[in-house]
Amino acid sequence: MTLKKYLRRVFLLDLFKGLRLTFSYQRPSATYTEQYPLERPPVAERYRGAPRLNSHPETGETLCIGCNLCALACPENLITVGTERTPDHKKRLTTFTYDLSRCMFCGLCEDACPGDALELTQDFEMAYYSREGMIWDRQMLEQGPQPTRYSR
Amino acid sequence: MEYRTLGYLAEHPLIFATVKIVIVLAVLLGVVAYLVYLERKILAFMQARLGPMRVGPWGLLQPIADGLKLLLKEDIIPERADRAVFLLAPVISIVAALSVFAAIPFGSGEWVIFDPNIGILFVLAISSLGIYGILLGGWASNSHYPMLGSLRSAAQLISYEVAAGIAVVGVLLISNSLSMVEIVHRQQEMGWWNVILQPVGFVVYMIAGVAETNRNPFDLPEAESELTGGFHTEYSGFRFALYFLAEYANMVLISSIAVTLFLGGWLRPFPNIKALAFLNYAPPVVLVGASVFVLAFGLKSRVRGERRFFAGLGVLCLILAGVVALPVILGLIQGVFWFLVKVLLILYAFIWYRATFPRYRYDQLMNIGWRYMIPIALANLIVTAVASYWLTKPHAAVYSALPWILRGRFA
Repeated sequence: MTLKKYLRRVFLLDLFKGLRLTFSYQRPSATYTEQYPLERPPVAERYRGAPRLNSHPETGETLCIGCNLCALACPENLITVGTERTPDHKKRLTTFTYDLSRCMFCGLCEDACPGDALELTQDFEMAYYSREGMIWDRQMLEQGPQPTRYSR
Repeated sequence: MEYRTLGYLAEHPLIFATVKIVIVLAVLLGVVAYLVYLERKILAFMQARLGPMRVGPWGLLQPIADGLKLLLKEDIIPERADRAVFLLAPVISIVAALSVFAAIPFGSGEWVIFDPNIGILFVLAISSLGIYGILLGGWASNSHYPMLGSLRSAAQLISYEVAAGIAVVGVLLISNSLSMVEIVHRQQEMGWWNVILQPVGFVVYMIAGVAETNRNPFDLPEAESELTGGFHTEYSGFRFALYFLAEYANMVLISSIAVTLFLGGWLRPFPNIKALAFLNYAPPVVLVGASVFVLAFGLKSRVRGERRFFAGLGVLCLILAGVVALPVILGLIQGVFWFLVKVLLILYAFIWYRATFPRYRYDQLMNIGWRYMIPIALANLIVTAVASYWLTKPHAAVYSALPWILRGRFA
């Protein structure tokens, strides 16, 4: 053993190196934990989460034209679009069901939509107590998921 | 009862001592409970976590919740256990750990419960009794893991007690006294702490202290990953809590002894240098700093209740700082403040080690104890003995060495 190595061992330099490392990790910026219900992590802009059926911001009418393209594009066939004919022979949306339990969030429905009606948002809290709860109707799709907000 | 009788009772030494004991016990148990919290927090920060956050603001009520939980839990005694010994063992541990604090001087003057002239001997003797709690508990459980844990504990504590004891003797040679108060007074007379004269002794004592409190990297008796808890595997409920309290009280104890013997007890750094007298105003300054810290961090909290709590805490710290800045009170708590600061620093180091060092293997542990610690402690003792003899009686030292030198020269 060389003298340098010997002195390193006698004065426990490696231990002090380790102590310095653990000490430096105490700085608050090194903390990795997120306090989940209190602070929600920001997700990427292109994140594909809960679907939403958009309405016109001013008139409040749905943007969906009932073209059924999303239902055709869906690989899982989980979208059902219900329409009716208005007296002037236009299609009008009546029901829209979206089965989240089968959805793989591929976003093909979003791409197929000719308007800006169907959109996968950044909401990610989609846990439910029953399978039925995961089948969203039109109203649920328009208002989006409403997770419990915890506070103390 | 007449006023005179009451006055007599108040002056009775036993009454005063009892009051002091109650205060020390209460403060100690609180400190121990929050030491657990501190350990969990510091450990968490060192591991890039947050630690307890959910019970109370920043998890500050966690120790109380833990204590309540342990109180309410079922107290299981194994069927084939040695009942009497099983029940007695944790009590031995906690009594040994707590009663030693009687001889620890927390400050100058009345800040010690009693000061026997064999102080350090008393401290070492009683704290060694705590090992019986661990040994008997492991044996009485009638189970494999506790048995292994307590066997390891016995071997470890005995080998490291020797090193710690010899390291302490170095200090005794310097201070010519066994009384804890006297040892601190000697350091005041010398003008510096014993650690400057006994650096090797200090290091040996600290390492042995870590081993004696069963803490990382010497936590073999209760190695979770090997022995599922070691000697206290079969203990549950409040008996387990007693062991837990004893362990942390022992940590505080080892730190207090180290502070008293090596780091000048209640003395401020460089007690005799007048230029550093401004250090006497450290207590209020530290309290103001604490309040600024609490306000700066606490008011950022997103929860309204927490913001209120931290604002209150900050204001309380400020008021305390104002009270402490009064000359009378400043003089009274000066010593205790420095004692607590030093003890806290050493406790922090204990926790720091736990976050840093992996556990030693059993043979490595024994190697370090017998092949390194004890020889180093012995060498330190011999050097100290020779040096102090030489320094106190230079002529006598020369005369006593003379025949030996002459014999070597002319034989």
